[in-house]
Amino acid sequence: MRAKTAVLRVMTGVVFLGLWQAGVTAGKLDKFFFSRPSDIAARVWQMFAKGAVWPHLGTTLAEALLSFTIGVTAGVFFGFLLARRPLLADVLEPYIRIANALPRVVLAPLFLLWFGLGIWSKVALGVTVVFFIVFFNTYQGVRDVDPLLINNARILGASERQLVRHVILPSALSWIFSSLHISIGFAIIAVVVGEYLGSARGIGYLIAQAEGVFDTTGVFAGMTILAAFVLVVGSGVTRLERWLLRWKAGRGIDSPLS
Amino acid sequence: MTRRFAAYTAIESLDLEVRAGRFVSLVGPSGCGKSTVLNLVARLIAPSEGTVEVAGRAGYMFQQDALLPWKTVLDNVALGLDFKRVPAKEAREQARQWITRVGLKGFENSYPHQLSGGMRKRATMAQTWIVDPEIVLMDEPFSALDVHTRHRMEGEVLDLWSGSKKTVLFVTHDLEEAIALSDEVALLSAGPASRVIGSYAIDLPRPRNLLDMKTDTRFVEIYREIWARLRDEVVRSHAS
Repeated sequence: MRAKTAVLRVMTGVVFLGLWQAGVTAGKLDKFFFSRPSDIAARVWQMFAKGAVWPHLGTTLAEALLSFTIGVTAGVFFGFLLARRPLLADVLEPYIRIANALPRVVLAPLFLLWFGLGIWSKVALGVTVVFFIVFFNTYQGVRDVDPLLINNARILGASERQLVRHVILPSALSWIFSSLHISIGFAIIAVVVGEYLGSARGIGYLIAQAEGVFDTTGVFAGMTILAAFVLVVGSGVTRLERWLLRWKAGRGIDSPLS
Repeated sequence: MTRRFAAYTAIESLDLEVRAGRFVSLVGPSGCGKSTVLNLVARLIAPSEGTVEVAGRAGYMFQQDALLPWKTVLDNVALGLDFKRVPAKEAREQARQWITRVGLKGFENSYPHQLSGGMRKRATMAQTWIVDPEIVLMDEPFSALDVHTRHRMEGEVLDLWSGSKKTVLFVTHDLEEAIALSDEVALLSAGPASRVIGSYAIDLPRPRNLLDMKTDTRFVEIYREIWARLRDEVVRSHAS
């Protein structure tokens, strides 16, 4: 990245936070509703310094990783299965569309009833989000494999299993990965929503608690931690992707938002 | 044999016999179904009518690059051996020899996107020949290369083939290339429903010097003879 871009980037953030801070200090913005960047920073610092935030972060991370892992595994598996079995795909298509059409938030209360207030109701919610994203991308990725590569591998003597392992899976990987970026973010959002709607732990719980007592500083502090958390986890996925897709060097892995 | 695609008959009553160990080229105007013939021989598709008899296993060099972009040159070349479950070490050993043979030494660990078009063709050649097919099908393999690289590659195909006892079925729309390389040139009529309209034995002595032979009197004679016939088909394919 060029130095100029970097400077402009930082400036944008500084100006935004500066205006906010100045607006509240000058009384143009109501501190009760908007809090203040310096207060929020102090609160975040305090939460980490006292260590109170760690169990909540740990819970949210565990829930997100569980829903991510389960959702990705199931999504890749069924994406593969349906892409390789067109009849099954044709039969199930309308049902998949119906299931995907439901807003996940309406499922949250049901999951709370079925799986209780612990982590599993949040994991279930996260899985329903991650699964469909990964499923559709895997399906598309497998269908998208260059028939030339398949023919070439067949002529070189590939069995059906070897075809999947050496040709179809690697080819679908870039599709699958583009879905992982989105889905890790959504997994965290989903579990936080789940926590928000009913739990005793997690970042979503912290935000809900703060909101309950009109503690806007607490809400913003929770949001700040959440955002940083999503970015850190997302960069982990980017790193893994770079390594797995190293053969693609310089061909569109680096999205500005990754 | 005949092959139809939906309502389109690509080739009809095409009759072609290729004797083992010969280098035979199929020449015809664009869209005459040359690739269809190769796909039939490779059994990628089945004839709508008639039969295809192939004695031995076929290797296939496609017009476009078919190297796996996510594998290095070494792994791409060893691919056919891996599929046959040759032990990895032995497969790599053989692959290294083939890589040296096609002049890619030093590029074993490069990925296809890091290679030039000509180098990718070399890797593809090694990938095709390493599994030792009795028949090698080549579908305009060098059409995307610049003319000098192309001449070099043609020379290398001849080097690989001579003494190998392999049968080569080489598709091209370039008559010069076909004559220079082949024992026999089969001419296809303009599509649709193309068939073989002539077969010419090329009696030029081997080994051939590809750089000088194109001005050779006998070469020019043969070229004129076949071109007189091919010309009509090319005109006909433009008309339709």
